[in-house]
Amino acid sequence: MNTDTERTRRFSELAEAYSTDLYRYAMWICGNDALAKDLVQETFLRAWRALDSLKDVAAAKSWLITILRREFARTFERKVPPFTDLEKVVIVDDNELKPDESTERDLLRQGILKLDPKYRDPLLLQAVFGHSCAEIAEQLGITKSAVMTQLFRAREKLKVQLQKDGVTGNVHELF
Amino acid sequence: MSMNFSEFKKLIGADPGNKDPETLRARHSSPEFEAAADEAEVFEAKLQTALHIQPPVDLLDQIKGISQQPVRQRNWVPLAMAASLLIVVGAAGLVWKQSHTWDSVESYVADHYSYDGSDTAAKATDFLSDQDISKILAKLDARADQQLANRIKFIKFCPTPDGRGAHMVVSTDQGPMTIFYMPKTQVTDGEMVKFDQMHALLVTLDHGSAAIIGDQSQNVESLVAIVRNSLKTGLVDV
Repeated sequence: MNTDTERTRRFSELAEAYSTDLYRYAMWICGNDALAKDLVQETFLRAWRALDSLKDVAAAKSWLITILRREFARTFERKVPPFTDLEKVVIVDDNELKPDESTERDLLRQGILKLDPKYRDPLLLQAVFGHSCAEIAEQLGITKSAVMTQLFRAREKLKVQLQKDGVTGNVHELF
Repeated sequence: MSMNFSEFKKLIGADPGNKDPETLRARHSSPEFEAAADEAEVFEAKLQTALHIQPPVDLLDQIKGISQQPVRQRNWVPLAMAASLLIVVGAAGLVWKQSHTWDSVESYVADHYSYDGSDTAAKATDFLSDQDISKILAKLDARADQQLANRIKFIKFCPTPDGRGAHMVVSTDQGPMTIFYMPKTQVTDGEMVKFDQMHALLVTLDHGSAAIIGDQSQNVESLVAIVRNSLKTGLVDV
């Protein structure tokens, strides 16, 4: 097979496999739909240029996440993006959620955006990409034990926020 | 030694999908453990619902379109139009540059604009396709996001004090303005250069710099944020 065709095929497979999760991840770390889209496009542009350096297909997911995180760091150095109203970008099928569930979901979303990055980052890597604790440790350059602690605390903080805001019922102030 | 309840809660709080034998044994060891694990699973389902966001419908197509761009390492880019443009513009630019030396960025900007800035701006009538824009910028390891690309009415390679750059004409609500992208030139950020009836604002970018040029009635500062945010530079380094 022509090497260019093969290269394009490999790239398309990566895009199909990971673009959705990368967009979700980008959206949750930057909170801005336009910037998230831009980050993902930028990630794949760099991936396309460096595709020949990806020898192990199994490492593709972590490789793409690393590229995106670096690009986000570069962007964030330049400016702090304004947060987007999540309702503008989330396609919600409210028929599947009862009003209470919908409220909980919104509270959780706000809680995720409010999380300190040191808690949010490992949580997203686990919940969005299905990374194991060992993989998260490698991605973030911290120990597995630290990852476990941060994941536990991230969930505890979200649960506390859910209970606190759920009691006060101030969901209308969120967006 | 079996884990206690506190250890178990921390473990499933960190890793609710943990299915290792020891965790499963602990889970089934008492109703209290079982209830805590059930509770963790319910929360995880809520978390997954909250995280679920649909990407823009055109995202995948746009990403796949990236593979149409030339790869830098190759020598054989079969883009006859781009090659022709490169030869014609490059040759003209070479002749011009050989007859000019610049002792400063300021003199370069003034000299370059005086050479063909007004004529080029006047000839820029139609908006360009993303493909036309990327043909030029990709060669300079750069890319224009939509916010900038949607304004570009002309683009070509041009000489700069430190090698090849890009000469762009962009549409604004104050009329056309010119941007010189200088991939390897350092400038003093925010410096204003005045010449003839024009002024140029020098802007540093992630890699290199740009000069935003307009006549003195035009607010060149209005393009700074767009250039900074939308002209992505230095794309070779992953």
